[in-house]
This record gives sequence, structure tokens and C-alpha cells, in this order.
Amino acid sequence: MPERLSFHIKRDSALHHLNPLTKLLLVLTLILTAFLAPFYWTPHILAVLFIPLLSILGKVGREYFSTAIRLILPAATFLFAMQAFFQPVGEEIIFEFYFLDITRESFLFAFSNAMRIVVMVSAFTIFLLTTHPSELMSDLTRRGLPGQFAYVIISTLQILPQMQAKAQTIISAQRSRGLETEGGFFKRAGALVPLIGPLVFGSLVEVEERAIAIEARGFTSKHVKTSLHEIPDTSTDKLLRWFLTALILASIGLRIWLS
Amino acid sequence: MFNKIKGNFNTQTWVLIPIAIAINIAVGQIVVLLKLPVYLDSIGTVLVAVLCGPWAGALTGALTNIIWGLAIDPNALPWWPVAFFIGYMAGRMAQWGFFKSWWKVAVTGFVVALTAAVVSTPIAVYIYGGITASGSSFITAYLLQTGQGIWQAVFSTGFLVEPVDKITTAMIAFAIILGLPKRTVGGYPKPEQVEVEGGSKNELYIALGVVVLLILIAAFVLRGILGG
Repeated sequence: MPERLSFHIKRDSALHHLNPLTKLLLVLTLILTAFLAPFYWTPHILAVLFIPLLSILGKVGREYFSTAIRLILPAATFLFAMQAFFQPVGEEIIFEFYFLDITRESFLFAFSNAMRIVVMVSAFTIFLLTTHPSELMSDLTRRGLPGQFAYVIISTLQILPQMQAKAQTIISAQRSRGLETEGGFFKRAGALVPLIGPLVFGSLVEVEERAIAIEARGFTSKHVKTSLHEIPDTSTDKLLRWFLTALILASIGLRIWLS
Repeated sequence: MFNKIKGNFNTQTWVLIPIAIAINIAVGQIVVLLKLPVYLDSIGTVLVAVLCGPWAGALTGALTNIIWGLAIDPNALPWWPVAFFIGYMAGRMAQWGFFKSWWKVAVTGFVVALTAAVVSTPIAVYIYGGITASGSSFITAYLLQTGQGIWQAVFSTGFLVEPVDKITTAMIAFAIILGLPKRTVGGYPKPEQVEVEGGSKNELYIALGVVVLLILIAAFVLRGILGG
């Protein structure tokens, strides 16, 4: 169980040195192009060619491919199968299995849709692999994001693994007292209360103490806060951001123009 | 408007939100482990919405799905508007006094479920073409095979699946609030919204009656939609 929920891997690469906002915009550009560009092959090229290259550029290729195989590919395959079988479009049947059938149209539709999801998820995966969450948050706070939002994101990432560990402890403890978590429906439904009760009440009693603690550290203070870490924002970053914005506008424009 | 939104947020709200997000995700995972046919992944959202107000609830919902999507299951990401409106609607219902006794809470759950069904329909249709990666899509697929239009099929599926889940969620949230010490509840922005009225044991039976009635109405309306 990691101490904090973070995929970040500390390496020294061009992608790691980019400003977090630039990387966020890059992710957004990839997703929007995949969903909006009017050419059928756009998401496929992005998913198969561009994103793997990006991961190698960021020196996180190995981690990216292992995530892709473990998480992204199974999810995309499942989505593809569901849509290919159940989309009621098209006439020309190319595959039949009892009452299930795949038509040419549903196959193509499902394939491009799965690829879009792959682009969306892998773009975010690379972003998370190369960006530390606190780096992103302090950069965004410097640009005017209220500090409270940064607090919520960062502390959620800290609390979540703790909460999951606590849930695991409670499940084991209640099982050792004879609580049945398997078996009939009513038994399983009955196990819900002794499992989530301690978890929820246990975490809610902390709220007041935490509130007093962060209040004492100037949480609601209106003054501008200084930061220990300076996050670089070079002219390359600015140039890249203009370029990405132009790409987004272009794909929206092409979409409207060609449809 | 802006001041009203601000009124939802005091320090205790900001501290509660991360914990509520973690509760959403952790309880959602416990429910998967128990193999129950519900999600129960918005208990924390409803808690925040009721104790702090609709905007705080909406923020909690949206952030839950964004963080869930980025850190655990990417398929949760596109659904953040649904969670946003679940939080918002639960907060509004509490504002209108519908979080003070068991049967009112059941009504809140039902209204929240309707909202969720309405908001999730366009997302399912535009992003997934109607068939999502969740198990309830088998119902959608079945309805599509019987010749339903895609919008009808997706909406009816939401209408079938959501009420049970959201009524249970609202009732668990209410039970949690009943169990919290008064002093803790008093620290949040809207403690007056959860002052319990009535309080007799019979309330619970009335609540069960209301739930059955709502489900019957739902079934009736659904037949109307499917027939038309």
C-alpha cells in the first residue's frame, strides 16, 4: 500500500521539465483531437503512434506499457466487445455467434470508440507518470486557483490509501468476529452496516480536529502565500501552449467545416 | 448568487470534502466486494450536500469522479456531470426540508435518482453510443434489440437501475447523520437542514411504504415510456 496515491516517477526528461499547465493542455489537446477530428484514423494514429512515442520521450515507456497492458487494454477490449455486439447499426453482418452479430458499421464504430477511450486514458496516464501532484497544484495555485481546491485534491490523494487500508482492517476484524461476507443476498446486505459504520464514523470524527489544525496554520488567510518550490515556466512552454491551443481550435474548426 | 455559494464553504466543509470523496470510493469498493447489486458510491457526496449545501455537494461529486477516473478506473471520468448533479440535487432537496425524516429522505433519494438518470443519458449516448462498460448495459442492449430508440433505451435503463441505488444511498447518509454527535453536526454550514422531526419508530414503516409506492409509480411511468 503506497503512502500516497501517486503514479509520479522521478526521471530527468524533456517531458518532466515542462510546466505542469503545458502538460495538462497537451492532454486536453490529445483528447479533444481524438474526439473531434473528422478523420476516421485520427484516434488510432494518436493511440498507436503518438502516445507511445510521447511516453518514450518522457522516459516512462516501460511504466506506460505495463499500465497499458494491465489496465487500459482490458477496459478498452471489453468496451469494444460490448459495443460491437450490441450497437444496432448497419446491415452487412460480418460475424455471427448464436443471436449475437457484428455488422461492418458496428465493428468500425466500436473500434474507433475504444481507441478514443484509449487515447483519453493513456494521455492522462502519461501526464500522471511525469507530473508530481503537488507540483501541479502549486503551479495552478500560483496562477490563481484558490488554495482550498489544492488542499482538497492533495489531501484526497493522501486520505484515500489510508481509508482503503482502514477498510481492509475493518473487513478482516469483522470477519474474525464471525461476520459473513459471502453467502446469500441478505447475509451480504446485512454485512454492509458493520463494515461501513466503523469506517465512516471513524473518519468523520477527525473532521473537527483537522479543521482546527489547518485553521491555526492560516488556511483561510487572505494574504498571498509564498511557496518554497519555484516551478519553472520557460518561453518554450508558452510557445507550446499557443501551438496546442491553435491545434484545438483547428480540430474544432475542421469538425464544423466538414460536417 | 456568489455569496450563496460561499455560504456552503467553511473550513469544516473543506476538510470534510476529501474525507467524503474517500468515503465514496472506499464504500463503493466494499459494495463491489460484497457483490451487492447497487453502487452506493455517492454516500459521501450526499453527506456533504446535506450538511454544507448544494454547491459543496456538487463539487464533491465532480471531484470524486475525476479522482476516481484518474487514479483507479478510467471509465469513471466521463460521468462527473452526473455526480455533480447528484450532489447539487441532494443539497437542494435538503434545503427544501426533505432530509428530516425517513420518508422524506426516501423522496430525496428518488428525485436524485431521476436527476442522475436524466443527466447520464446524453453522456451514455454521445460518448459511448449508448452501450457503456457497466453491467446495466445488458438491459440497454436488450431494449435496443426489442426495437427501442437509443435515447429511450438508455433512459429507461437509468430509470430502472438508479432509484434503488439512490434511495438506499440517501437512507444510509441519513442514518450516518443521526449517529453523529450534535456538536459535530453544528460545525457545518447548514445544521438546521437535518434537524429530525417526528422521530417515532413508525416513521421507518411509513418510509418503506413510500419506497414501495415510488417504485410502483416508477414502474408505471416506465411502462408508459416503453409503450409510447
